[in-house]
Amino acid sequence: MNKQQSKGTVILKKIGLYALLLVGVLLSMFPFYWMFIGATNPSGEIFSIPPNLTPGDHFMENLQNLNESVGIWRVIFNSVFITLTFTILSVMICSAAGYAFAKYKFKGRDPIFFMLLLAIMIPYHVTLIPLFQLMASLDWLNTYYAVILPNLAYPFAIFLMRQNMRSIPDSLLEASRVDGAGEFRIFFTVVLPTMRPAIAAVAIFLFMFQWNNFLWPLVVLGDSDMHTLPVALSSLVGMSRIDYGQIMMGTTLSTLPIMIFFLILQKQFISGILGGSVKE
Amino acid sequence: MKAWKTMVAGAMSVSVLAACGGGDDGNEAASGNNNGGNTNETAENNSGNSNEGNSGNNGGGEGDVSGDITIWGWNVAAASMELAVEGFQEQYPDVNVTVEDIGREDVYDRLTVGLAAGGSGLPDVTLVETDRLDNYAAEFPDGFVNLSEHGFDEHEDKFVDSKVEAMKNDDGDFIYAPWDIGPAAVFYHVPTFEEAGVDPESIETWDDYMDAGEEILSATDSQMVPVDIAADDALFRMMLNQQGAYYFDEEGNIDLTSDEAVQAMSAIQEMEDRGLVQNTDGWDGTVTATVNQTVATVPFGVWYSGTIMDQAPDQSGDWGVFKLPAFEEGGNRNANLGGSDLAALSSSDNPEAAVAFVEYFTTDEEAQVAALDEYGIFPSLTEAYENEFFAEEDEFFNNQPIWEMFAEISEGIPAANYTSDYARAFRYSSDAQADALLQDTDVAEALQTAAEQLANETGREIN
Repeated sequence: MNKQQSKGTVILKKIGLYALLLVGVLLSMFPFYWMFIGATNPSGEIFSIPPNLTPGDHFMENLQNLNESVGIWRVIFNSVFITLTFTILSVMICSAAGYAFAKYKFKGRDPIFFMLLLAIMIPYHVTLIPLFQLMASLDWLNTYYAVILPNLAYPFAIFLMRQNMRSIPDSLLEASRVDGAGEFRIFFTVVLPTMRPAIAAVAIFLFMFQWNNFLWPLVVLGDSDMHTLPVALSSLVGMSRIDYGQIMMGTTLSTLPIMIFFLILQKQFISGILGGSVKE
Repeated sequence: MKAWKTMVAGAMSVSVLAACGGGDDGNEAASGNNNGGNTNETAENNSGNSNEGNSGNNGGGEGDVSGDITIWGWNVAAASMELAVEGFQEQYPDVNVTVEDIGREDVYDRLTVGLAAGGSGLPDVTLVETDRLDNYAAEFPDGFVNLSEHGFDEHEDKFVDSKVEAMKNDDGDFIYAPWDIGPAAVFYHVPTFEEAGVDPESIETWDDYMDAGEEILSATDSQMVPVDIAADDALFRMMLNQQGAYYFDEEGNIDLTSDEAVQAMSAIQEMEDRGLVQNTDGWDGTVTATVNQTVATVPFGVWYSGTIMDQAPDQSGDWGVFKLPAFEEGGNRNANLGGSDLAALSSSDNPEAAVAFVEYFTTDEEAQVAALDEYGIFPSLTEAYENEFFAEEDEFFNNQPIWEMFAEISEGIPAANYTSDYARAFRYSSDAQADALLQDTDVAEALQTAAEQLANETGREIN
């Protein structure tokens, strides 16, 4: 009797828990659903009261209009190319730099690291104009270089990698050295594999940073052929006349890659969080 | 060890200072301050070059102008310029024109960065809203081509009077070329008025307007007017402008405490007290209220006609327009809200072609009528008002000849001095509106506070 009751309470508790989670899911899904509704309806529909919650039949039309106004496929290619190149290069540079800061002793290491921390504190807008001037004199305006290169050594990512690299036992590195491995080999075959969760976290962070980056691509990528998604979407917002169908279609398209990227890396990401919880 | 600490401390204080310089001002144009010296130098060089190349070529000889030019604009304004390219090339066959459609705020971001960086990455011609002109002219005095030196003065009489003054720098030279203007009027929902039995013709003063609003409220549940109380004082600005007042007087002194300002804000407060104001949230909120008739009227600039047509295409014939009510019977019912203009940049490699386009586009009747017909962008070129298009009755707007009405309003608009501190004044004035409407603060007091804050920030005198 007693046992049954407690079983009953367990089930009840579970139902309660799932109901609560379901509410959370619905709340977080709704904006995406609304976005999708907006993408499949004509522009004015989004203002109707009561709101229209069923998908409409304007999906293709909105997509066509969007393609006509911003050339969406080229824009998506730009965004994907810039973001992936940036993420891969930046992860390599930042983890190498983090490793050096964590594990090598060299003259001026601490002051350099301190400067790096300062760099995190400099507001972006302060560097905007000097950096723009630099790009202009290098004749890099309207090139992929201008968006990919300046932020490759991303201070916060270096900081994050350095903190993680500190947990690698020195004895492990020493053992590898005794076994005759060179410094590069140690870095690639011993250090990096143990750092996968941290790398995944940093990669997601850098990917999001570059994917959503707006002001910098806006100012350095003038040609509409070079626009990234946020810049192209922003160009759809005029003064008094806005086609919301196109904008919603664009936002829907721009959230997809982030979701895909996160789903791919999520296993690494979560195993990283759990990985530290059991130490044997 | 000690050495690097000093160095770092030095670097830190520099970065903190720089942060203040860049951060204490929401207004993008101000970030140019940091690099002012450098900027001016480069810009001067550029404008020097351009003048040399142009001497003896005032007025523009069509034959020898050639090359490529790029133009920045946004949305329907960019599309309007695109429309004009063909006509332009008939006169200037050797000039290739590229119009880039960039977001409105994005144009300013890129323009500010480019000007501050001494003219890199800029177009040859750009669109700038009228209320931002003084700001750019003050921050980057050498950033734009002096159009008067290219003979633009001959066109002075072709434009609406109130528009012309705003185009000139302190020396009275044209820096900008006037394009569109935002004659304001009241858009009203015809069936709602009919249901309440209110005749829009009978609304002549703001008191009439409020009485009509009460009748409509009791008969239909629609409120009278949307106001984005905490963020936008558009109604207040229209009321100031119609009385010949504005945030600033002609000398640039703060004029927020004038009798006209108090009268305008008091009227808006009274509307709120009588339950006629719907507090809408931003632009989207206003459009939602319009499309769903939770408000019966929307007092706005002429450009709002395009918004209604775009977002409520099925309400054709349901909308009408009447002039802004006056403050006393027979008073002025003309005011302006918005508008934008063209500028040629000194950094252009091809200033003759840039100026040629600016001149052609702003003074060509056909280009202007096409922009109005296709995109609802209203010209300040008074010659264009003679065009037969203006006499046409508009089906969407209850078969009213609304363009004729807007043309008439345009010619009666009193001039306003926007100054380089327009954005700040706009913010404090909106705050005052929120105080008066949401906190029931005494209007004169709220405006006094706004004026004092504005004076503190800008160093301007209060009248």
